[in-house]
Amino acid sequence: MSNAFTTFLNNRTAVQITVYAIVCGAIFLFPLVLDNDFLLNRYARYLVLGMAAMALSLSWGYAGILNLGQALSFGIGSYCMAMALKLRTVPVHTGEGGLPDFMVWNNVETLPWFWQPFHSMPFALLAGIVVPVFLAVILGWFMFRGRVTGVYVAIITLATLVVGNLLIIDQQRFTGGFNGITDLAQLELFGIEFDAYSKSTYYLVAVCMTVCLFLALAVTKSKAGMILQAVRDHEDRVRFFGYDVAWYKVLAFSVSAGIAGVAGMLYTVVMEFASPTFLGVPLSLSIVIWCAVGGRQSLLGALLGAILVAGMEGTLSESETFLDTWTLIMGAAFVLVVLFLPNGLAGLFEMLRRRLAAQPAEKPTEGATDAAVLADKGAAERS
Amino acid sequence: MTTHLELSNLAVSFNGFKAVDGLNLKVAKGELRCLIGPNGAGKTTALDLICGKTKPTSGSIRYRGQELAQMEEHLIARSGVGRKFQVPSVFKQLTVRENLEVAYCKRTGVFANLIRIGRTPESDGLEKLADFVGLVDFLDHPASYLSHGQTQWLEIALLLAQDSELILLDEPTAGMTSQETQKTADICNRLKGRHTIIVVEHDMGFVKEIGDVISVMHQGSMLAEGRADEVSANQKVREVYLGKVGIGHA
Repeated sequence: MSNAFTTFLNNRTAVQITVYAIVCGAIFLFPLVLDNDFLLNRYARYLVLGMAAMALSLSWGYAGILNLGQALSFGIGSYCMAMALKLRTVPVHTGEGGLPDFMVWNNVETLPWFWQPFHSMPFALLAGIVVPVFLAVILGWFMFRGRVTGVYVAIITLATLVVGNLLIIDQQRFTGGFNGITDLAQLELFGIEFDAYSKSTYYLVAVCMTVCLFLALAVTKSKAGMILQAVRDHEDRVRFFGYDVAWYKVLAFSVSAGIAGVAGMLYTVVMEFASPTFLGVPLSLSIVIWCAVGGRQSLLGALLGAILVAGMEGTLSESETFLDTWTLIMGAAFVLVVLFLPNGLAGLFEMLRRRLAAQPAEKPTEGATDAAVLADKGAAERS
Repeated sequence: MTTHLELSNLAVSFNGFKAVDGLNLKVAKGELRCLIGPNGAGKTTALDLICGKTKPTSGSIRYRGQELAQMEEHLIARSGVGRKFQVPSVFKQLTVRENLEVAYCKRTGVFANLIRIGRTPESDGLEKLADFVGLVDFLDHPASYLSHGQTQWLEIALLLAQDSELILLDEPTAGMTSQETQKTADICNRLKGRHTIIVVEHDMGFVKEIGDVISVMHQGSMLAEGRADEVSANQKVREVYLGKVGIGHA
């Protein structure tokens, strides 16, 4: 192995950026290999779910905030997009100045005030990010000012999610209730039509995902990101350096909510509807599992974890052999990962990098412990 | 010399147990003060009160004329109080370099730190600091790989990076070899004058090496104060703390 390569391997940030860029590149090139609009739609869906998991990794993996209500931000984004797209169908379905079809069925006579601004697409796109961020700042401010930590954060966020979910289901006249908002127009931006079953939507998702991924990476690489990781390790100690921990946690919590909001908007475009299940507890918990499998302390790990697990679920549940047993197989996979890879699949990669980086100094003996490998590396650096 | 820190009638009780009870202490600017006392005398609690980890039930803590008693921890830290804890508390998952960068806290705002990415001019200063405490080879290793002694050194380096005016050290030499203890004493002597330091310590050799004035605490309040020989001659101190042997042989 050349020396330059070892130096490169020793630079964690350089390896990270390279790997992130390669994965994003592969995602962009994927449609060249796969010319099947149905499957592309499915993979776009996985990418969107990956974004939600990546956002959770920012708050859970980096700042230690276990947000079980990640789907709330996701769902709000999704409904913002659905409302805007629904209003575009009104002139077609119920005539000029009419109402969305489900409102007509529910005897609503005028468009509610909070639907009005969604005639404007830029407003909807902004709302899909700003509303989740705003909610996260408020909730985060109360929780983190009050020094609520650990499992209580998980309970509060989960409860908030349930409240949001019940509100949507309960207000059927304005939200479509259980049915959600269906029968949407196609998103049109800059003169491009985003048909869910087309390359354009796939690329839209891929671009948004890449931007969000590198944005989140920049946050983790900033000094604020470092302080967040310090907060995760030892919250009280950080205070004695003069940092106002609460605001740092609010930052991670709200950036994460914003990215989840973007993912939610894309999900509506890909799925062509919005449903209360998008802010349901099962989805929210799935996001946590994807994050854990992929490696919560790695943004890319969480993203790939979601794609992998969601993809496996899709494939297994459709194959005839595993029709009855696929949930068992998924469960076993989770247990194995949690038992043997506490840092998820990304942890495996990190271990590999360290070993490769350490190799040229002296060949570590078979089964050398990590500590021994590190000692070798230290020796290499000194010499 | 001007008074830098003044505790007056400070008291705190935990469910009726008075850990600190009517504590009075004056420390001058640039002074190195040693705080000794038997177990349970309230030494660590006194430091907790100064840095805001524990809020006093009554009494006042004046630092540079400013009342600290009811301030939040991060504001106390920003006003110039640094603390080393008894149990080494570094950020285990961060590398040594990252630990130092977190400790270098001249700017504490969220947004100011959000736009700071990568190496800054001060990183080099931090490397010198790591070299100074013998951790330069470990800069890019996670702090969890360090031994207990090295963790102590890292924490001392964190304090140096933080560069507080008032430094509170809680048993800095616990678990150190005699050479390491000597090095810690050297560091304390170097900091003396530029920083005001309060050290809680059990190692009497170390205390005599560094301390100008020694304060002895007992049952939450101040028992005696003076130079090492004065304190060791004090009859009350001998009774509660030193037994019959005396400070010179401890």
